[in-house]
Amino acid sequence: MNNIFTQILRRPPYLVISIVTSLIIFVFLVWLPNLRLIVTVLTSDTTLVQRLKFPISLLGSIITNFSILSATYTIAIAMLFGINITMIIFFLKRRLKNIRQTGVTIGFLGLISGIFGIGCTACGSFLLLTLLTWLGAGTLIKLLPLQGGEFGILGIFLLLLSIYLTARQINKPITCKI
Amino acid sequence: MNTNYMFLGGVAIIVVAIISTTFFSGNKDNSQLTSNSQAKIAIQNENKSTPRASSALEQMRAVSKDDHIRGDFNAPVKIIEYSDSECPFCKRFHATLQQIMSEYNETGNVTWVYRHFPITQLHAKAFNEALAMECASALGGNDKFWAYTDRLYEITPANNGLDPIELNNIAQYVGLDMKKFKTCLASKEYEQRITNDSQNAIATGGQGTPWSIIVAQNGKKYKLSGAQPYTAVKQLVEFALQEK
Repeated sequence: MNNIFTQILRRPPYLVISIVTSLIIFVFLVWLPNLRLIVTVLTSDTTLVQRLKFPISLLGSIITNFSILSATYTIAIAMLFGINITMIIFFLKRRLKNIRQTGVTIGFLGLISGIFGIGCTACGSFLLLTLLTWLGAGTLIKLLPLQGGEFGILGIFLLLLSIYLTARQINKPITCKI
Repeated sequence: MNTNYMFLGGVAIIVVAIISTTFFSGNKDNSQLTSNSQAKIAIQNENKSTPRASSALEQMRAVSKDDHIRGDFNAPVKIIEYSDSECPFCKRFHATLQQIMSEYNETGNVTWVYRHFPITQLHAKAFNEALAMECASALGGNDKFWAYTDRLYEITPANNGLDPIELNNIAQYVGLDMKKFKTCLASKEYEQRITNDSQNAIATGGQGTPWSIIVAQNGKKYKLSGAQPYTAVKQLVEFALQEK
C-alpha cells in the first residue's frame, strides 16, 4: 500500500492535484456557514482588495469557530479527500474501462458525513440539527456524546476505507478472467 | 444502469441538498425551549414554511430602546447578536465583540445589541442564565445588564459547566440587591422576552449560536454565522460602514 502512495504522490502533477483538492475542500468546509455572505461581499462594488480581505480573514475561524476535535477532523477530511481524489484520478487514467466505483462512492459519503460533523461546530449550527429537526427528531442530538462530531469521525473512516479500496483496485493486475 | 452510478447520483443529490440548505435555509426551529408555552411556539415554527434567507433577515425585530445596547444607539452600524451563554463559541465571540467595541468606542460607529438564543437542547442551563441577565437588567438597568453578562461569560466554563450558585455570586459581584434578584429569578418573569428573542433569531434564519446580523446605516443586513475571528468581524463592520 505504501508503494502506491509514494508511486502516486511522488509525481508532481498528482501531488499538485492532491494539495489543491485538499485546500479547496478545507476552504469550503471553513466557509460553509457563511457562503452567502461571502458571495455578497465578493460581488459588491468595493475595491478588489476589500472584497478579498473578508473571505481570507474568515479562514481564521478554524481557530475561533471550531473545537480542537472538529478542527482536527476537518483538516484530516480535507487531506484525505485530496489523496482520495488523486488516487481515483490515477486509477481512472490507468484503467478507464474497468471502473469500479465503490471507492468513489464511499469517498463522497465520507465527505458528506464530514460536512454533517462540521455543521455541529458552532453549537449545533445548521446541517445536522436542521436535518434532525426536519425529521422531527431534534432532541436526538442530546443522545450523541460529541453532539454531531461523530459524523466527522465517521467521515475520516469512510475516506480511509475509500482510499484503501481504491489502492487495492490499483494493485490488482489487469488480466482477463477465465 | 450500473447500481453504482445510481448510488453516485443519489450522493450528488444529497450534496446539492446540503448546499441548498446552506444557501436557502431559513427559520427551522433549533431551540427546543423549556416551558410548555415555548414548546407550543416551537411547534408552530415547525409548521411554518422555510422562507428564503434574504426575506428571513427582514424578519429581524427592529432595534429599540428596550434592547440591551452597548454603544451609541444611533451608530451607523449595529451588530445584533443572538447568543447562548453556555455555548463555548459564544463565549469566544463575546470577547471578540468586546474588542470590536473598544476599537470603535471613540468613533461611536458601532452598536452591539445583545439578544438571547439559548439552545436548551445542548445547554439546559442557558435559559435560566438568560433569565438572570434579564433580572440584572430589570434591577440595575443597561449598565448592570452588561456588567452581569460580561462577568457571566468571563467565568462560565461553557457547555453547561456553570454552577447555578454562580448566578447569585455574579449578582453580588456586580452590586445587585440580592433579595430582589433571587425573587426575580425565581419568578421567571422574563421568560417570554427570552422566548421572543429566540423566536426572532429563528425567524431571521438563525440555526446555531452565535448568530449575528450586521445592519448598515442604509438598512442593509449581513448575516454572520458562528464565532468568526476579530479580523473578519472588523472587515465586515468596515464594509457595512461604507453602505450609506
